[in-house]
Amino acid sequence: MKFTTTWLKYLLVTAVLFIASLNNSYAGGFPVRPGSLLLSPSVSYFFANKGWDSLRRKNPFSNNGQFTSISNSLYMEYGISKRFTFLASLPYVINNYVADNYTSKSQGATDLETGIRYYLANINYTYYFTIQGTFITPLYQNNPSLGYGEKGAELKFSFAGSAHFLGKNCYFTAENGVRQYFGDGGPIQDRYNATFGLTLDRRFHQQMSVSIGGFYSTSSLNKGFDPKKLVSNKNFAFNQASITYGYSFTRRFSTFISAGTFINGRNTGDGSSASLSFVIRPF
Amino acid sequence: MAKRLNILKQLICLAAIIATMQPLGAAAQDAKGKKAAAEDPGSVSTILTPADKDARFDDKAVYEFDVKNTTDNEQVGKISYLVSTETDKNLKADSQMIKVPKKSTGKFRWTIPQDKPGYYKVAFMVNVTDYDDTIRKVFGIKPELLTSTHNKPADYHDYWKAAKDELAKIPPNFKVTKMPKITTTGNRYTYAIEMQSIGNMTIRGWMTLPKTVDKGKKFAVLLGLPGYQVNLTPMGGMDEDLAIITLNVRGQGNSRGPVNTRRDEFIFYHIEDKDKYVMRGVIMDCVRCIDFICAQKELNHDKILVSGGSMGGFLAIATAALDKRVALCSSQNPILCDVRSLPGEVDWPLNDINRYVAIQPGLTLDKVFNTLDYFDTKNFASEITCPILLGIGLLDPIAPPPNEYMAFNSITTSKNKRIMVFKDLGHEVNTAYKDLEGRWMRDHFALF
Repeated sequence: MKFTTTWLKYLLVTAVLFIASLNNSYAGGFPVRPGSLLLSPSVSYFFANKGWDSLRRKNPFSNNGQFTSISNSLYMEYGISKRFTFLASLPYVINNYVADNYTSKSQGATDLETGIRYYLANINYTYYFTIQGTFITPLYQNNPSLGYGEKGAELKFSFAGSAHFLGKNCYFTAENGVRQYFGDGGPIQDRYNATFGLTLDRRFHQQMSVSIGGFYSTSSLNKGFDPKKLVSNKNFAFNQASITYGYSFTRRFSTFISAGTFINGRNTGDGSSASLSFVIRPF
Repeated sequence: MAKRLNILKQLICLAAIIATMQPLGAAAQDAKGKKAAAEDPGSVSTILTPADKDARFDDKAVYEFDVKNTTDNEQVGKISYLVSTETDKNLKADSQMIKVPKKSTGKFRWTIPQDKPGYYKVAFMVNVTDYDDTIRKVFGIKPELLTSTHNKPADYHDYWKAAKDELAKIPPNFKVTKMPKITTTGNRYTYAIEMQSIGNMTIRGWMTLPKTVDKGKKFAVLLGLPGYQVNLTPMGGMDEDLAIITLNVRGQGNSRGPVNTRRDEFIFYHIEDKDKYVMRGVIMDCVRCIDFICAQKELNHDKILVSGGSMGGFLAIATAALDKRVALCSSQNPILCDVRSLPGEVDWPLNDINRYVAIQPGLTLDKVFNTLDYFDTKNFASEITCPILLGIGLLDPIAPPPNEYMAFNSITTSKNKRIMVFKDLGHEVNTAYKDLEGRWMRDHFALF
């Protein structure tokens, strides 16, 4: 029982990571106007009661286990100049794991992410290439339910553009980032995401988007999954899909609702999520 | 139970009727279509496609030529082409006999060797059983190598320095008058603007500003410059970041003033004297408008785009060349490019100028060119340092493509220049240019 609940707890670190990276409603990848600020508070709910093991076999959590996570996050972007954008993300999560005869709860701020995005180039002023460097700072210690507890760095490349599709304005972003957590056996992760969105009306009030993304994480430590070796869950992978509806009340205030689910995975929970986020542009 | 069976029977009957009606309707339509097809004798049409989307080639022009025959007759005859220079000197011709069976398409390919850089007129002719047609196009051979053989006047810079010095001595007396009764598209305020320019002439125009609650906002500026004898009116738009100014230079619109010429006379008004030529004042009117922009606290003085077509394109390049406060220049089909090579290429404005020369004692076309050298678009273009976007039409009878390219190629001091070629357009550009212009402006001004 102890082993089971413990490895589940670690298994679900991936779900926490997923939740923390769910906010795509600001369609990153485009350059940002110098001097402008974007704030995006969001709340996400994640639920899982089954998971994939190291052989990608899906099983219910033992003893009717259920994992729920609520993540509150504040994301911000500030346009420093035409080329440079500062960005930061601060998530705070509340995790609950409940099974027959077992309950676990943990909460706290997780990994603070701060970074700089650089606008590299464009094609015909329609398609934009950006590169982003991010530094990860854990805001907790010795709490594997919240993350690895290690600093890290990420380099992300983005391609974004807008066009017309079926008589409507549309946009897309495609991002791929490679993240390295430091420390012994710190995993190296490939994080990818592609979003396609359509503007539903001429006044750009309503939009709908679909996203597909995932993580592939590997560590120099033991690559097989062994419940006795807790760090082994640094080796995992999953793909997820989500759909988002957005409504812009004004140019300065928009709201987004999103629903997502895992498609497949390895060494991770299989869950679904819902989120609500706001985009505020004070100036 | 009996009632239910009855309803079921009724439904089956109804379904049967609907099922019967649909094939009947379809059959009726089919019959109608067959009848129409039987009555349609078909036609012959052609599609001409250059191998390069801009009709720009290195040493041979290549065209695909499709002859589509939807008639019941075999089409027999000849296709041919004739290549000539921009001054209509015939260079090359070829032809071939063709047969296009009924209800089919004949595909042919023309390869036209030509290695001298330039633009060439080409006429493709089709003469078959039921159809005769001529398609006129223009193609380019290494246009980026085209250069003018006509130099700037030695005192070019002194001439324009003197003009600007003269302007600087004129008190601008800027006036801005809110015009609440004049509305435009978009949520904008409209203002009448006024300023003094050289010759103490009053120059007028319009300014529209987006309505905003941000009192400290500074708008980027689009300065729209007028075409020949065009009266510009207030321009609206949905762009919330852009102030739009439309300027009527002297002799045009509400700035007509003492330069009250007939339409055809404006281009040669005082052309015999380079210090009195109307375009000197016109260009200084545009520079004065840049002064106006820089005197307005709600406008961003570092984000000024000048844009115009035809004479407006000429003025945009001239203004950007003479006033470095201009941050971006967009010029569509600018006139007066490499003026000394225009004879034989264009009718206007040379026909009007020649008429004037003919009635002025002692005035010659060469003397006119001595004046126009100071107003040659290619000479202004060589002074441009800001990013520039140029749009040209290969079928343009007023601003011919080789001349346009000479102006473009003379831009050596701007690190960011781009030309957009419309192979099937004359003295115009299309919405693709305007779309690009908007995105280009937003990128350069970082209005993401």
